[in-house]
Amino acid sequence: MSFLAPLFLIGALAVAMPFWLHRLQTQSSDRKPFSSAMLLETTEQQVHVRKKLRYFVLLALRVALLALLALAFAKPLWTDPDTLPGPGPDGTHLILVDTSASMSREGVFDAALDLARDAIDAAPAGAMLQVLAASHNVREVSRLSADRSAQLAALRTLRTEAARLDFGLAMTAIDRLAESLPAPVMLHFVSDLQDSGLPTRFSDLVSSHVAALKTHVPLAARPRNWSIDGIRPTASGIDVVVNSAGENEMTAIVALTLNGVAAGTRNVRGPGTTTLSFPDLTFATGDNRVRADIVEADDLAIDSSRFEVIRNEPPAPIPLLTANSGGLPVTYLSAALHSDPTSNWRVEPADIGRFDSRTLTRYGWIIIDDAGSIDPELETALTEFVENGGGLLAFAGQRTASAARVPVLGNTIAGASIGLGNDQFLSIGQVDTAHPLLSGTDGWYSVRLSRTIPVEARFDDEVLIRLENDEPFLIERRIGRGRALFVTGGLENQWNDLPVRPVFVTFAVEAARYLSGAEQIERSFAAGAALPLTLVGGTSGQVIDPDGENVLSLADTTRAQRIQLDKTGFYEVYTSQGNYTVAVNPDPRESELMAIAAETLQRWVDTFSGTDPPAGTASFETTTEPVELWHALLFILALVLIAESVLANVYLAPRTSGGSN
Amino acid sequence: MAALGVSRSTARELLQPEVLSHLKNLDLVARSVVEGFLIGLHRSPKFGFSQEFAEYRMYNEGDDPRFIDWNVYARSERMYIKRFLGETNSHLMLLLDASASMGFGGPPVTKLRYGQFLAASLAYLASRQHDAVGCMIFDEEVRDYRAPSSRSGKLQSVLHCIDSAEARTGTKFDKTFDKFREQVIRRGLVAVISDFYCDIDRLLDGVRPLAWQGQDVVLFQVLDEQELNPDFKANVLLEDLETGEAVEVAPEFMREAYPGRIRAHIDQLSKAAAGIGADHVLLRTTDSLDQALRNYLLFRQRRQ
Repeated sequence: MSFLAPLFLIGALAVAMPFWLHRLQTQSSDRKPFSSAMLLETTEQQVHVRKKLRYFVLLALRVALLALLALAFAKPLWTDPDTLPGPGPDGTHLILVDTSASMSREGVFDAALDLARDAIDAAPAGAMLQVLAASHNVREVSRLSADRSAQLAALRTLRTEAARLDFGLAMTAIDRLAESLPAPVMLHFVSDLQDSGLPTRFSDLVSSHVAALKTHVPLAARPRNWSIDGIRPTASGIDVVVNSAGENEMTAIVALTLNGVAAGTRNVRGPGTTTLSFPDLTFATGDNRVRADIVEADDLAIDSSRFEVIRNEPPAPIPLLTANSGGLPVTYLSAALHSDPTSNWRVEPADIGRFDSRTLTRYGWIIIDDAGSIDPELETALTEFVENGGGLLAFAGQRTASAARVPVLGNTIAGASIGLGNDQFLSIGQVDTAHPLLSGTDGWYSVRLSRTIPVEARFDDEVLIRLENDEPFLIERRIGRGRALFVTGGLENQWNDLPVRPVFVTFAVEAARYLSGAEQIERSFAAGAALPLTLVGGTSGQVIDPDGENVLSLADTTRAQRIQLDKTGFYEVYTSQGNYTVAVNPDPRESELMAIAAETLQRWVDTFSGTDPPAGTASFETTTEPVELWHALLFILALVLIAESVLANVYLAPRTSGGSN
Repeated sequence: MAALGVSRSTARELLQPEVLSHLKNLDLVARSVVEGFLIGLHRSPKFGFSQEFAEYRMYNEGDDPRFIDWNVYARSERMYIKRFLGETNSHLMLLLDASASMGFGGPPVTKLRYGQFLAASLAYLASRQHDAVGCMIFDEEVRDYRAPSSRSGKLQSVLHCIDSAEARTGTKFDKTFDKFREQVIRRGLVAVISDFYCDIDRLLDGVRPLAWQGQDVVLFQVLDEQELNPDFKANVLLEDLETGEAVEVAPEFMREAYPGRIRAHIDQLSKAAAGIGADHVLLRTTDSLDQALRNYLLFRQRRQ
């Protein structure tokens, strides 16, 4: 029995109340003064016992009343023992069949199914059996039973999938499952046992509830496989990374299609990794569907095709307000934003002295390389811009050093700026890596600073980075619906070496994403991954799978959910915020067909040899529907309540109406 | 008693404890009881209760000067005192048990209050007969004592002593009777008012010397109706008022066995009293007081 709300069981402590009341009653009730006890005699034991018994029955009813009430609130669940699998004399035999992408090799999966059938046939007559399938997760294919025909029928329904199998995750799921199965649990693992399926930690392979592991590996020829590991956009075209595994020299043809149109073919020679270039391609605006195929037949077909979505959009302009349009800040920022292929920003330097503040509304966010250059008129316009949801990234500069306060943010500049000698540097002391702006950045502690502007943080400031002397280096302020970031160091490579550090690239890109509010949409997924659909305006949208079928029913489109991407190819996603395409490919690790080393496998199997099978029989909750008992408890509660009322009334009657004078 | 202006029926009512319980002044209670009793009492020489002149005799030292006939003195210069019919020059000593068990009973009155009514009435009646009256209030110890005297004003002192008695602690008759023997030497009537929840043999040990001393002893046993015929419908825990001992009894026991036990105790006391020449009178707290007064007069008559 289990409980949906076990905390309510604390209410059972209330049974102490009737115990207390009855105790008081026993001590104080019916006590009367009498002139002398010399002629009295203690009542007969029989009468006393009858009275005690009546008290006891009443007390028991009251205790039962409170206990039932607490129990009903705790919502107990009962699993019918008749539906539970009995403890088989030979325990449980789990048949775990690997259905990951690598199992789709020619003849391997059929051989695996034969091995699984053999394992079922070889199981002891009284053993409980269950067939499980494992790829990106472990799922039950059949119910736990001793019926072999049902298990064999379940085997016939198995198909390979495009997803990857991680042995560690699979064993974790098996361990939890085995906990509730009749012991001892014997695991038959039917798999090609790819080396790439091993988890990072060997301990993840160990199960405390599985008594023994027996591997069944379908025999296969030495792997000969071509796979396309990647499709990367270049400045003028596409590069396709092709990998081949085999002992002998082999050749193949790679065909590329762009938006369904053949874009060329290339010959490739193996074994090894080769990058093929397809230059001079013309991309359409928006999402471009790119597909690369190995024409040559090999052992594993599923990884011979790869799908990619290449987004082609003109980069969004970012105004950099500066006094020197040809200065280093422009160069550093442009290089940083351009170097990240996922970013799509273009730095537009503008003279801060002649900048028309009325054009601010055209931009989502802006950069200023020296906050001290902001005049009062521009400050007013910038403040209004940020309050209305705009973003501002401002750096300190020469003019900031001579100002009394930071424009827009209003922070007081505490005294003169710090200037250290040539051989003296400050370092970063503390970085708030939990902040979304900085969570993806790394390398701040290598930045050296020779000069910063000492700024006093206000109560509503969030100091994201502090120097080693505890002074703020990066401040964030929410102003109205927008955000402003202020860096107390300069953007030129004079006060610090931040612009030439690798962290500057990620910082610039993340700052662009953060201040623009643009969400990066993932357009490439591994098979078996989940695509999150958020609920916006009462609808989550619709998804069309590579076969052109609607993934969601009409009812499902009204709730937020995660779509399981089981098929390889292009999924079309339609949401209220826009339409886009995602590409789903097999995990590249499934293309690595090398099996686990014999020593490693033996070590894995040996971990089970010394495991004592857990004693006792546990319920198998995953296959048996529990029954809620609170309805029945309420009925019993009502009966107890009536009985208690009647008995209490009978008991109390002589005390209230009779008794001594 | 035309002087009191009450009829006979009203007088009888005044003898009922229920009526007397509304009177706070014990003097008034005693007066009402006695006068009511006398109204209902037929004038009879048998009881010697008369204020009619009988004879003169020489005044002796110690006699109450109130009874000197000054007319005779004026004529003969000798002091004579009047003697009346029924005058015996007796002593009445009242021993009132004020133990905790006497606090039981009611309504209308507790046993102690009934005993106070009885004692006060006897004192008043004796006073009217020119008898010397004294009292002793006791429980485990002698709590208060008034020596017998027939002097005017002494009655009020006795009534006050009786009225101030409160029920508390246990009972020890032997100690009381020892003290009594030390204080009272002259023969007279001794009225012991108690519920007599005690060992009868030990009680007799105390009373017997008094009888041998020549005292006429009457034991007024005062009990409540609930003690004689208890009525309980459920199990009850009865707590002894004197010892604090608690006994859980069943209604069956109180209905069937207990009445026999209390009756046996009363009979034992009655026989024991008869054995030493004392009298035993059982009084319920609901009984009229005239029976007790009549008993007193009978005893008095016996002494003449």
